[in-house]
Amino acid sequence: MTPIRIPVPGELTQETGRALHRSAREHALQKGGVLLVDLSNTRTMDARGGAWLLTIAEWAKARGGELAWEGASGQVAEFMELVEPGLKAALRKKPRRVGLLENLGDATIRATAEVREFLNLLVDAIYWTILAPFLGRGFRWGLLLDEMHEMGVRAVRINFMMNFLLGLTIAMLSAAQLRTFGLGIYVADLVMIGFARELAAVMTAVVVAARTGAAIAAELATMKVQEEIDALRGMGLNVPQFLVAPKLLALTLVMPCLVSLGMLSGIAGGMIWGVYVLDIRPDAWLNETLGAAKLKDIFQGLFKGFFFAIVIVLIGCHNGLRVEGGSRGVGLMTTRAVVQDIFLIIVVDMMFALLFYYVVD
Amino acid sequence: MSVDAKNLAGPIIRVENLVTHYGDTPILKGVSFCVDPGEIFVIIGGSGCGKTTLLKHMTGLLSPTSGKIVHDGTDITLLDEDELTRVQRNIGIAFQSGGLFNSMTVGDNVALPLREYGKVGEDLIPSLVRFKLNLVGLGAAEHLMPDELSGGMKKRAGLARAIALDPPVIYFDEPSAGLDPIMASGLDDLILNLRRLLGITFIIVTHELDSIRKISDRILMLDQGSAIFLGTLAEAESSDAPRVRQFFERRADEFIAQRGMVPGGHEEEEGAE
Repeated sequence: MTPIRIPVPGELTQETGRALHRSAREHALQKGGVLLVDLSNTRTMDARGGAWLLTIAEWAKARGGELAWEGASGQVAEFMELVEPGLKAALRKKPRRVGLLENLGDATIRATAEVREFLNLLVDAIYWTILAPFLGRGFRWGLLLDEMHEMGVRAVRINFMMNFLLGLTIAMLSAAQLRTFGLGIYVADLVMIGFARELAAVMTAVVVAARTGAAIAAELATMKVQEEIDALRGMGLNVPQFLVAPKLLALTLVMPCLVSLGMLSGIAGGMIWGVYVLDIRPDAWLNETLGAAKLKDIFQGLFKGFFFAIVIVLIGCHNGLRVEGGSRGVGLMTTRAVVQDIFLIIVVDMMFALLFYYVVD
Repeated sequence: MSVDAKNLAGPIIRVENLVTHYGDTPILKGVSFCVDPGEIFVIIGGSGCGKTTLLKHMTGLLSPTSGKIVHDGTDITLLDEDELTRVQRNIGIAFQSGGLFNSMTVGDNVALPLREYGKVGEDLIPSLVRFKLNLVGLGAAEHLMPDELSGGMKKRAGLARAIALDPPVIYFDEPSAGLDPIMASGLDDLILNLRRLLGITFIIVTHELDSIRKISDRILMLDQGSAIFLGTLAEAESSDAPRVRQFFERRADEFIAQRGMVPGGHEEEEGAE
């Protein structure tokens, strides 16, 4: 089979390349045929002209033929030598199609691996937080104070604001119903019980998940991306001990304080509405609130807060350490950590509600 | 574009009396030089002498305290953001460790400037990307992610992205740092090839002697923020200036430990990845 010969003009540029491409496609290239590009008149070529040659080579490959060239000299010859592997291998690979079952199996395997990783982290974290310090195996006490300051003290203002506003809102919503029956004073009971058992813990946990949970995930993910985690491991330092345990202990210590603050702020918000809008005397409101306050309810809120803290730290660390790729991976994992935090907070909250409903109450 | 045609014009870049500070610390204390079209201009000097800072000023990433940086007749220190962006499209920058976007494949990294700025039809972009990657010897890496590449491959991919828009000038920060001698030498060959084939002017910051000997047309040596030598390789090797001799003879500095701490000896990020 004689090759199809196409001559190339003196300068191979974007424009002449386009024309060349057009004229090449007019030929009926058959399977096994050769498209011979004659470069003997070509004195110069640039990258865009060369790119058109690649396009032509690809077209030839797609039809089962191939591209060859002859007569290149000088600068053109050097160019051709450099891009020869590209011209020879010109066909783009199509991505393999993945079936439904394959996807399902893949997802299952990955989910199991992730759960196993999480359980490992959980066990390690518990060991290095609770047991190791008593066994004299070291705990970074200095870091603990830093972390408590960052996670606790610096969250006070935002936590106060969120719970205060929520208290105000709950008082407004419930007063609209109760005052029609002349029962406005019972708003005080409602806010007290609501914040003690449920609202302060959940609202605080959401604030902390958004602040601290995201920070933990981003910090660990960045450390992993920048090979700091590998450096730690290489020095024989234990990641759960070095990074996870101080954060876990710090947040579990700080969280009950933040939840207590949340309760007080919420009740204060409710009281503002009761005193200034419902026109109930402050001492009557306070009296009603204290009458509704039961230690059991308050402990329930604090207890939940403690578990939320564990969830937030471990989910943050878990996602941070699983990061892949660079900066985009850090963003993805941080988002994932916060979403999982908030989801698990609600799930854990519900499980406690079930527990208290059937067992304790 | 051929090398001869461009040589007729004057210098492509002119730096006049450039003074810069980092906080209160002076980094560059009045540096002046010209770069001719098609030249491989090498900036050398010990760690912390202001090389990388100079490069960042020349590419418009930082703005100086005083002095001029003239690109093709325009003083880039006087330009506003938009005008500067237009000048920057005409220069390619290859970073020390590639500077690739980790979330995209190597091919997409190279395609990015073409899609954003290039006056190239969408139909030609895939071929053009493959062409550039073949030029730098990375034809097979098109569909890989940057973190699957070795250090040398990242530098090559960064170079492919820098030449994507066919800029007349390329700035290259530390092409051979952190590479084994074979890789480094391959990268030097690549730079020479690109200069010959595409007529690109290279401005290269490096402190690898082998690489300097192989590729440089002219050398600018900085020491503690001042230009202490400007000339060809032969002139540099026969220079009497003690610092220049010390550099080319690879003699250690007796006060190396203190150098980084004296005022003006500001430590930069250098070398190893």
